[in-house]
Amino acid sequence: MSMRDVYIVDGKRTPQAKAGTDLKDVAAPYLGAYLVKHLIDNTEIPADKVDEVIFGNTGTPAKYPNIARVIALEAGLDKKTSGYSVHRNCASGMEAVSQAYLKIASGRCDVVVAGGVESMSQMPLIYNKEMTELFAKLMKAKSMGEKLAALSSFRPNYLTPIVAIEQGLTDPFCGLNMGQTAELLARELKITREMQDTYANNSHLKAIAATKEGRFKDEILPITIGGGLNKLLVDDSGPRGNSTIEGLAKMKPYFDKKSGTVTVGNSCPITDGGSALLFVSEEAVRKYNLKPMAKLTDYHFHGLEPERMGMGPLLAMDGVMRRANLSLSDFDLFELNEAFAAQILAVSIGLKDQEVAARFGLDKAWGELDWSRVNVNGGGIALGHPVGSTGSRLIVTLIHELKRRKGKYGLASLCIGGGQGGAVVVENLVR
Amino acid sequence: MSLKRVGLEYIENIAYVGFGLNNPKSMTTLDFDFMQDFTAILDELYAKQRELKGVIFFSHIENCFIAGADISLIASLTTEAEAADKSETGQTIFNRVEDLTIPTVACVDGICLGGGLEFALSCKVIIASNSTKTQLGLPEVKLGIIPGFGGTYRLPRKIGLPNALDMILTGKTLRADKAKRLGLVAEVYPKENLIAMAPKFFERRETHHSLKESMKELATENFVTRKIIFQKVRESVLKKTNGFYQAPLRILDVMDSGMMKGRTSYLAAEAQAFGELAISEQSKNLQHIYFMSEAAKKYKGPKGTQALPELNRGAALGAGTMGGGIAWLMADAGMHPIMKDLSFDALNLGLKQSSQNFAGALKRKKISTDEFERKQRSITAQLDYSGFQKVDLVIEAVVENMDIKKKVFSEVERQVHPECLLTSNTSSLSVEEMSKALERPGRFAGLHFFNPVHLMPLVEIIEHSKVDPETVEALYKWVLRVKKTPVVVKDGPGFLVNRILMPYLNEAGYLLEEGVSVKDLDQAALNFGMPMGPLRLLDEVGIDVAIKVAKVMYEGLGERAHPSKFSSKLAEKNFLGKKNSKGFYLYDEKGKVAGANPEVDELLPKERKKMSETDLQLRLFLPMINEAAAILKDGIVQTAADVDLGLIFGIGFPPFRGGLLRYADSEGLDKILAALKNFSETVDAERYRPSDYLVQLVESKTSFYEKAR
Repeated sequence: MSMRDVYIVDGKRTPQAKAGTDLKDVAAPYLGAYLVKHLIDNTEIPADKVDEVIFGNTGTPAKYPNIARVIALEAGLDKKTSGYSVHRNCASGMEAVSQAYLKIASGRCDVVVAGGVESMSQMPLIYNKEMTELFAKLMKAKSMGEKLAALSSFRPNYLTPIVAIEQGLTDPFCGLNMGQTAELLARELKITREMQDTYANNSHLKAIAATKEGRFKDEILPITIGGGLNKLLVDDSGPRGNSTIEGLAKMKPYFDKKSGTVTVGNSCPITDGGSALLFVSEEAVRKYNLKPMAKLTDYHFHGLEPERMGMGPLLAMDGVMRRANLSLSDFDLFELNEAFAAQILAVSIGLKDQEVAARFGLDKAWGELDWSRVNVNGGGIALGHPVGSTGSRLIVTLIHELKRRKGKYGLASLCIGGGQGGAVVVENLVR
Repeated sequence: MSLKRVGLEYIENIAYVGFGLNNPKSMTTLDFDFMQDFTAILDELYAKQRELKGVIFFSHIENCFIAGADISLIASLTTEAEAADKSETGQTIFNRVEDLTIPTVACVDGICLGGGLEFALSCKVIIASNSTKTQLGLPEVKLGIIPGFGGTYRLPRKIGLPNALDMILTGKTLRADKAKRLGLVAEVYPKENLIAMAPKFFERRETHHSLKESMKELATENFVTRKIIFQKVRESVLKKTNGFYQAPLRILDVMDSGMMKGRTSYLAAEAQAFGELAISEQSKNLQHIYFMSEAAKKYKGPKGTQALPELNRGAALGAGTMGGGIAWLMADAGMHPIMKDLSFDALNLGLKQSSQNFAGALKRKKISTDEFERKQRSITAQLDYSGFQKVDLVIEAVVENMDIKKKVFSEVERQVHPECLLTSNTSSLSVEEMSKALERPGRFAGLHFFNPVHLMPLVEIIEHSKVDPETVEALYKWVLRVKKTPVVVKDGPGFLVNRILMPYLNEAGYLLEEGVSVKDLDQAALNFGMPMGPLRLLDEVGIDVAIKVAKVMYEGLGERAHPSKFSSKLAEKNFLGKKNSKGFYLYDEKGKVAGANPEVDELLPKERKKMSETDLQLRLFLPMINEAAAILKDGIVQTAADVDLGLIFGIGFPPFRGGLLRYADSEGLDKILAALKNFSETVDAERYRPSDYLVQLVESKTSFYEKAR
């Protein structure tokens, strides 16, 4: 089957805010709907000519089992617009993008909106098994006597809730928390606390500089917030201008409290946010007089052992570079998610160190990462990691920065809880 | 039996009586044909009572059970006796419905108002459809009359006194679910199942009351508490209406004194009250407004040959009080508006305005929190023109400055598609002049909203020499769609409403200069029935804005609009009105009046002047009438009804007076002219110089309404 070219017309994202802060009242669909509306309104594409709306989301709010369809409708797209949601943990947004790629490349669709949303603030507390069973008994009880009998089985510990977010961030297969997988990599690859804190500090400084210089202006769309929905959030609230290595060094290890090196400070915070991109075929470009920003060259996903999930990008980048027939030096820009400083540093070691690369099944080491081209506007540690969105957020940031730098190829990659990696290659068309 | 309007069918010993048979109109009203058919049907039902299991009343017309009495019939009544007689005729028919010994069920789908609900109440059971179009209510009070077909007698017996008083005195309508909660309807069904479910209620005995209901009944259904309820309600009515409206008080009389009466004597009192009220001047005035509003629902201006542009997506330029209000209106109408301004701070103000407007509806449960979220979020607040290519209607509400507005329009014209309508919410600048900034002036017009947008029903559509008729018609229909009242006006200083408002505010300034107190002045206007005195209104408008507008008026209208200097004295002291919490009055953080501004007293002349209330009212309202005459002469609007509709819906001119010009007509134009002449000699020759148009009306012994029809 011959594949068609896939164009990115534009991409936008919300400002990102630490969970429980500025975006806490924004239900997940609203982190995406206004972006979609904006993307479509800014083109000649009519509201009834979007073939598919695909969104990644991991928290799947009970109210919105198929969040993409809700986003399509809230965005004011025609009611006949098809929409579905995807879940690939931290790469859900990237999975949505890969779906868009396939649908357009294969000729099934011409206009697809894809992205990701995550409201980590609104992830629920869940009743535990005992309490759920008690409720079920109560519902079945017909007489007052049966009801009382059901109620009398209640014990106070039934009220101990399950924190959905905590459970979601623990690997069900290997039992390790995500932070503990980072600790493992740090230990195995000898990544020191100081290396991690220095890396984290840089992330903040770069993000602060980017915000100050207005480098996020083209990618962020201000969002309406507040209980009364009466004010705009314009900038990311995560980056800290007063961050110092010394300050970071004072923080206690969080995941291995006795001898660990991974702290809250050198990890990405739990964050709310959304991102969306508009993908089209060449026919749609002509039909609607579009001026695409970039081409989506290819993507790749790859699995590995869950307890070393942080190395996922190594395998995904390896895969996508092979597919696209490109190597590290061909890229003007990298957007690599910073789940943990230890984790992204581990990936860079895997890229250059033959032995480590081989340990993860690579034929060869790709070489040294040019850090001056990596996360130039800061990364997940400063900006945060809204799980379902980051996969597409990285691409949004990537295409805008590539355009600004008049670069050619860019690569976005991230590690995926559960032991996977995902990567995407884009080619800038505005040079 | 030949039936024209009401159908009758028997199926398995159940009589099905269907309203709206062969009805060419979409609404069933209780007109002559209806009553004739219905009487014949009743005769037959009585004859067949023994063999029938029950009677089911329904409507053949979707969304309308019975809309109520035919208002033009009420309007045609001239004597008390005639009106009371009409009421008694209806009562007798509905009594016969009530007295049927077999089960009767009214199946209400769609509107069921006034006489329609009074009919339903005479059935043993009412059931209703859950359609959003289903509405039940007794809105008679809004027309200055009492429900005259037994509604005031039967409603309290159905839903209890407090709820019945609330419905009857406010005239509000209930949706089906609310009606069920109050016990007005027995059950609610999807409309497709309504009639099939009706026979279920043939068996129904009186529902046994819950403990809570019984307690409530005990509390409200005894003599003493009922007296207290009436006392309290009477006080609250007086407070809300300032005693200007007769109907609610008369209704209270009937219901209060009828407490111990039997049906016959109660209904006699109701009919008598109906007779008195229906032919009262106040009711005629309110009916007049009803007919004017109904007439305004049809576009009567010139039609173009092109298809009307569809106005699906909107944009508000400027996010101030007006821009935010306009964005709110568009969001509420599902137009996914863009709101554009120059800074995020400005945009936040607009979002706040819109949020506040929704908050009221949210509080009154008119919208759900989900709807609020959806609608408020449908506003895109932004700094650039992205997305404007999809916009079909732009309403500009930026600063009142011709150069800036022209610049904005020529800029925005390049961003939108050629069919897009561009409009200005200017309150005082020339729309003709503004149109010169555009390449496609045909698609441009003035669209003047009143502050606050969510409360003021009027929208002036302002024409200019190059406007396309399609533009005016499309805007007219759009204004109706967003549930406002449109009036088409020609360009001119202050257009319609502000031009007539000008002398009201201006004379207030002169009267202050003469030594009249702020309190006396505003009180005189309030006692006339105005919602706000002129000085309170100036505070609301903003003193600085008022000064600017006054200047525009002066430049356009000449000496008769010479501005009083009093506002400038306030502006010098930075008393700008409500916006900075200090004007003629002081305001608290919530914008509520917190007393008079004592410093204003110092600006008044030492020597105070006491004038009679009537004289003050003449000084304020005569020049308004005079200016309205000039407006008709200038052809700004075509009819007296346009003027009256504009003032009632634009500034809240007291509805019970039927409008400024109707008031003038009723006072007698010769008297008005004489009073003007008098003031032109004693107060100011220019400001009170009678308009030629008025002089001609008096000379030809005609009135505003007879002449300018």
